[in-house]
Amino acid sequence: MNPAGHGGGAGGGEPVARAIGSPAVPDGAGPDRYGAPYAADTLTDHDRLARGGGVARWEPLGMSVTPALDLRGVDKSFGSVRVLHDVAFTACPGEVTALVGDNGAGKTTLVKCIGGIDPFDRGEYRFEGRPVRVGSPRDASRLGIEVVHQDLALCENLDIVQNLFLGRERRRGLSLDEDTMEEMARTALSGLAVRTMGSVRQRVSTLSGGQRQTVAIARAVLYDSKVVVLDEPAAALGVAQTQQVLETVRRLADRGLAVVLISHNMNDVFAVSDRIAALYLGRMVAQVRTADVTHRQIVELITSGASGDLGPRR
Amino acid sequence: MMKGGPSQEDIRRHNLGTLLRFVHLRGPASRAVLAESLGLNRSTIMALTADLTAAGLVREELPRGPGRRAGRPSLVVRPESTRVYVLAFEVGVDRLVVARVGLGGVVLDRREGVRARDSDPADLLGVLVAGARALVRKAERDAVCVGASVGFPGTVRRSDDMIMFGPNLDVGDLRLGDALSRRLGLGIPVSVCNDANLGALAEHERGAGVGCDNLIYLHGDVGVGGGIIAHGRLLGGDEGYGGEIGHMIVNPGGRPCACGSNGCLEAEVGERTLLCLAGREEIPGQAGRDAVRDIVAAADAGDIAAREALQRVGKWLGLGVANLVNVFNPGMVVFGGTLRDIYLGSAAQIRSVLATGALAAPREKVKLRTAALGDDTTLVGAAEFAFAEVLADPLQVLARLRAPEGSTVS
Repeated sequence: MNPAGHGGGAGGGEPVARAIGSPAVPDGAGPDRYGAPYAADTLTDHDRLARGGGVARWEPLGMSVTPALDLRGVDKSFGSVRVLHDVAFTACPGEVTALVGDNGAGKTTLVKCIGGIDPFDRGEYRFEGRPVRVGSPRDASRLGIEVVHQDLALCENLDIVQNLFLGRERRRGLSLDEDTMEEMARTALSGLAVRTMGSVRQRVSTLSGGQRQTVAIARAVLYDSKVVVLDEPAAALGVAQTQQVLETVRRLADRGLAVVLISHNMNDVFAVSDRIAALYLGRMVAQVRTADVTHRQIVELITSGASGDLGPRR
Repeated sequence: MMKGGPSQEDIRRHNLGTLLRFVHLRGPASRAVLAESLGLNRSTIMALTADLTAAGLVREELPRGPGRRAGRPSLVVRPESTRVYVLAFEVGVDRLVVARVGLGGVVLDRREGVRARDSDPADLLGVLVAGARALVRKAERDAVCVGASVGFPGTVRRSDDMIMFGPNLDVGDLRLGDALSRRLGLGIPVSVCNDANLGALAEHERGAGVGCDNLIYLHGDVGVGGGIIAHGRLLGGDEGYGGEIGHMIVNPGGRPCACGSNGCLEAEVGERTLLCLAGREEIPGQAGRDAVRDIVAAADAGDIAAREALQRVGKWLGLGVANLVNVFNPGMVVFGGTLRDIYLGSAAQIRSVLATGALAAPREKVKLRTAALGDDTTLVGAAEFAFAEVLADPLQVLARLRAPEGSTVS
């Protein structure tokens, strides 16, 4: 008989050693958990949620990886209007973090802060654990942060390769290295799309909405980005194309990138995200693991800023 | 039981199989990469590739593209995709597919046909044979077919490939594998497997689940099938009927199922239920997959009946997944066939039920993914299954198949 039958019952003789050697300790509970940036708080949100007490806050949930992107205490005002109040936000490599919130909650403003288009007034910006200053889009792209905006910012009159390398063309001596660029474009696209899109020398104006979205996302892959932020990638797309974009987003994270996805569609959010960050009137009211929450809770967070135990302490 | 160590011959056979399997699944690789990945030294790799090359299973060539490394470039070992192939058959309720798949998993050629739901099972055989013959005719003259498998939507007995039950596609007591093998006359047996089991295999080896050894695949056609990979192996159970997730009872006293029970997962989330909940008729001639996609599209466009139908189906599916997560603690659950569309259209419901219904520990890390192989999961799985024999003992199998008729090979 297998003496470890009660302990998971894996096949062979192996489970005996496993059952004794490693008790059920989650990955994040190893020694490096105490060396992680959040050493002060060893109780994870997940523990707290599971016990039904406490407040879900913004700390990463029981993880041992360094977040790729880590913003703290971000304030942003436009004139007298405070758009972001003390916002904290993290995105981890290998994960899709969905950023949700009602219209005017500050999602796009936060994205502009992340991308350096409109830097925040006050706050801390950490990239892969170290404090950085992102004052312009160039700073962001140098770090490996790529933002795909709602309007995609593609040039319709140029072909796919030209768009992908716009402003960052490869050169060979005095001329452009078209062969290398073509080859790189092809590899980047074939890694993303289930169906290939024919020639990489097609003009972008001939592509469908979903294909354009893929081209915009491919830019991120091409430059070896670490963080990709997608602002409403599925808006204005049909169902089939949306599904394709969602699968692309997921694949991007599965390759180890940190992906931030803004979406209004709860199905899209639940379909691909690992974490959900909810903004309400310029405040981050919760950043939770998707596996721990329900649709109703997220809708409540979006519409009222709180849901049961989730949301800021009053 | 005492057993001596493996013989030299066993080790060689094992190494040959492992090397071939590596280039089959991971693609062409240089000798240097092979040596490192397989943990063998380069002279062993050289000897093994020489044997496989002589048998016509792989070919070696100089790496393509400009090599900028110093020194002599390591030769790249490529599978002989056009010379060594299998026949993969997918029997769906609405469609039939036959493909010639080369070593390395390349679909070389394929034939697809639509199947009417009320058509005669005898026609089925004819269509498959005609498709396969057309494919074999177009193969290169020196190409050799090393296996054939059929993915079938029903429960199949492992010992003799007998189809025991196909609620949505009844073939009576037709022995599909034997009949196909006889009519093809290629001298190879044709194995029959459950379609979703093959899908699980495919996603595990070539799809979303590469590297995930505990995986559950859910396949939606008219009904719901399932395949469970535990410790990297397909869970077949005592007689190979394992993984019938579609007949897990989620709603006691619920909708009647074709299997005779009530409230099976298949009965609550299957195509007919979805159509019925959305207030639509089953249109004869229209493939079920399109009908399901129509509902997802309608829900997205704001059709309330369609949206509610999807939400209800999503809740039952979530309940089923919650049970699976609790029982098997999978690293990944993959949704394929029509369930891909249903998952993407009702993920909020599925994951909400999962969040409240499954234990916190096993659900914490489980990844929910859509099938990376799209509509070809069953077909790719059938091809992988058909390759299994040649990958296990490459030289022996090839020698037997290449031997002229009548002669025996030791």
